[in-house]
Amino acid sequence: MSTRVVITGIGLVTSIGIGREVFWKNILAGKSGISEVESLDTSAYSVHKGGEVKGFLHEPYVRNLNSDQIGRASRFAIAGARLALEDAEVDLEEIDRRSAGVSMGTTSGEPNQIEQFDNCYVANETEQVSPYFISSYPCHYIAGHVAAELGFMGSNMMIPTACAAGSFAIAHACEVLRKGRAGMMLAGGADSFSRITYSGFARLLAIAPDRCQPFDKNRKGMMPGEGSCVLVLELLEHALERKAHIYAEVAGYGLSCDAFHMTGGHPDGDGAVRAMEQALSESGLSPAEVDYISAHGTGTKSNDQHETVSAKRVFGKAAYETPISSIKSMLGHTMGAASAIEAAVCSLAISDGRIPPTINYEEPDPECDLDYVPNEARNHQVRVAMSNAYAFGGTNASLILKTCEGQ
Amino acid sequence: METTEIRTQIKEVIANATSIDVADISDNASFEDELGLDSLTLLEIAVDVDHIFKLNIPDEELSERLQHLHTVQDSVDLVLSHMTSEKVGV
Amino acid sequence: MERSVVVTGAGIVSPLGDSSQAVFSALCEGQSALIDVDLFSTELMGGLQAGEIKDFLPQPYLGKRNFRPLDRTGRLVGAAVQMTLENGGCTEEMREEQLVGLILGTMFGGLHTIAEFDRMGVTLGPKFVKPLDFANTVINAASGQTAIWHKLRGVNSTIATGGSAGLQALAYGMDLIRSGRSDTLVTGGADELCFESMYGFYRADMLARAQNGQPACPVPFDTHRNGFSQSEGAAFVLMEEGQAAVDREVDIQVEIMGYGAGYDYSQGKNEDIALIAREQAIRIALKDAHITADQIDLISASANGCILNDHYEARVLGRCFDLEKIPVMAVKSALGDTLGASGAMQVVTLIESMKQDLIPGIYPLEEVDTTYSSLIKNNRNRTAEIQYALANAVSADGNCCALIVKKP
Repeated sequence: MSTRVVITGIGLVTSIGIGREVFWKNILAGKSGISEVESLDTSAYSVHKGGEVKGFLHEPYVRNLNSDQIGRASRFAIAGARLALEDAEVDLEEIDRRSAGVSMGTTSGEPNQIEQFDNCYVANETEQVSPYFISSYPCHYIAGHVAAELGFMGSNMMIPTACAAGSFAIAHACEVLRKGRAGMMLAGGADSFSRITYSGFARLLAIAPDRCQPFDKNRKGMMPGEGSCVLVLELLEHALERKAHIYAEVAGYGLSCDAFHMTGGHPDGDGAVRAMEQALSESGLSPAEVDYISAHGTGTKSNDQHETVSAKRVFGKAAYETPISSIKSMLGHTMGAASAIEAAVCSLAISDGRIPPTINYEEPDPECDLDYVPNEARNHQVRVAMSNAYAFGGTNASLILKTCEGQ
Repeated sequence: METTEIRTQIKEVIANATSIDVADISDNASFEDELGLDSLTLLEIAVDVDHIFKLNIPDEELSERLQHLHTVQDSVDLVLSHMTSEKVGV
Repeated sequence: MERSVVVTGAGIVSPLGDSSQAVFSALCEGQSALIDVDLFSTELMGGLQAGEIKDFLPQPYLGKRNFRPLDRTGRLVGAAVQMTLENGGCTEEMREEQLVGLILGTMFGGLHTIAEFDRMGVTLGPKFVKPLDFANTVINAASGQTAIWHKLRGVNSTIATGGSAGLQALAYGMDLIRSGRSDTLVTGGADELCFESMYGFYRADMLARAQNGQPACPVPFDTHRNGFSQSEGAAFVLMEEGQAAVDREVDIQVEIMGYGAGYDYSQGKNEDIALIAREQAIRIALKDAHITADQIDLISASANGCILNDHYEARVLGRCFDLEKIPVMAVKSALGDTLGASGAMQVVTLIESMKQDLIPGIYPLEEVDTTYSSLIKNNRNRTAEIQYALANAVSADGNCCALIVKKP
């Protein structure tokens, strides 16, 4: 059986635009989605900014489910799914929904729901906890609600591997397709802004006060964000049969664990290196053949430095010739959605021949001395793109996408 | 507050964050070398100490302070210096 | 040719014991995990009982170390994984050579930690939330913590598909080994008992409780069932590539033959869709295992006392299998519903069942609906030769997974 998996649709909900076209235009323009946080009161914090998706309206997307009973991340996911299917020109009436599945990643699931529970608890009004709490809070409802909204009966998976979750979900979807367990998969990630996440990163002193500046000498940290990205994945034959537009092919991936620290990677970049090497090996590619790297690039002192070290360990001299940019400079860290959005960026870079910048880059750091595509997008032929993601819990993922040959 | 009491309370904070017996935490114990504490645990200890002693250290300063927190004595000094600065209205 | 996947070790921590044998004996004796809860007050829930692991301490399993970084879920996982590794003879050396990975199924992760972290921020202010607790607010925290604790540097993934997560985790692991991406994995599931989840289920009226003059009846398939009883625990298996297990001369407990999955997109509201999704999972599993339905000798059901879900399961088992001939066990009758751990607990107890050719009865099943009358035969222990067994796990919203195992 064929094992070639391709990406035929992209749907996105981000702080710089909803939908592939707007998103791609804005990311190439270096538009920042960072603003003053509005969804929570940050007066008691020392930081006040984030990448919220402001003014998001779920109505065009959530048509079958009762939106009052589903959380924000689920609405993002449903929107991403509908946009991806539209982008892929999939007619829901035509596909076999029994073999259409969903594979999603997240970091926190639906934290706003537990926050509402806690508000009742703290106010001694626990009896006011909603009867829908238990069917809206658990994170598996993100994937579940996408399937419920669309009538998909195939394999339904939720992989909450934090900041690498999107890549894990995409990798899993590939396996499901390759083993013939589904004819079409929606895969991606979603996370919503929350006080839990914001407080946590603020407490770790990890949030930058003003801007996210990945790889810059004066970088001050990450920027919490939110959003979703859903991709339509199918086997090549299936895509060709329905004359679908193909953005890119999944060439391979690597998954590893540092087993070292809960919130930081191994300083030698051990797990990151293994994930990249596995991805390259599976793809049958050498590092020199990678034309673009979408970095994890959170903007923290340690991540960006470790990431540079591990890139050099794998790529050697080629590291200096391979542009590597971080879209977290624009979106902030969208958590479980991040690596799915980054996969979309790689797909678009491949199909469009342009790569997004790392914005807010002002002063080079001698310890981070690669080509981070500073501030301006670039025309650049991308046949092979790699996306790296490193998560809380020490789990790592590298995904390699390439031009789909022999269409 | 007496220095001894400050030290005792700090050792209790460390004990809570690490499961190390108070009796096994010497007055000059080094956080990284002797007690084997990682960065997250150190941060938690700093946050707890701030809370208990009502130091109100701003986040910007906390980051800087953490760089110089290597031993139990460093923590005691931190508390003392903040208490002193309060008294003189700094 | 596809690589075979076998189980060479198992570990379990549950209210009925912390070994496969102890739990299995308890099932055969008709014991119940349900007890008054000490972990938190159940006053708002009318004093409902649950399956709580009393006085659970990690030290007996993990030695005297700093447990502050591990919350209850992390400790349950750490303990069960420790026993699994020991049981399978998976030394530190082997873990390093083979880059053994960990796949954790869970519904909530450390929910109590998440809630407490949030509440502390609300009451004391965001300045005083606890950094060590924040690390455990990600749903994959226990997976990461356990990897650090036991030096598991292979694939580290967390599967959250509600009550079917534990079984889905085993299925996910099976695929990784079959495809050659991993050689050895610890796979299983865990969920802790906590106020937040139990009260959530209570508010949704899903827990069995005395009502309308009827007692609480969390009994799978029973005509008078009126909900499930929540429980907690962790269960894992050591899975590895078949030939490698033979080469290292370790006891092979079962071979994992195949799995199938489906999603009830009506989320329980439409019986036709609910049945199709459940049947799909079973049929695909049979196909994946290259066997027919009549080769199944034992079914471990997902049933937990939920009125609708048990009904759907009974009907679909009746559609796929001859229930006059094939015994059915339902471990949640004794263990309660351990949510993300349950599917893994089903497999760990299936392994014991297959070792002893003994099937624990569903206690205290007293009466079943006429539509599935043959199920009543399962209300007592039975003996039978078991070669192939099927574990069925369905989450509350209809995420269906069926896994088939074979005696070596």
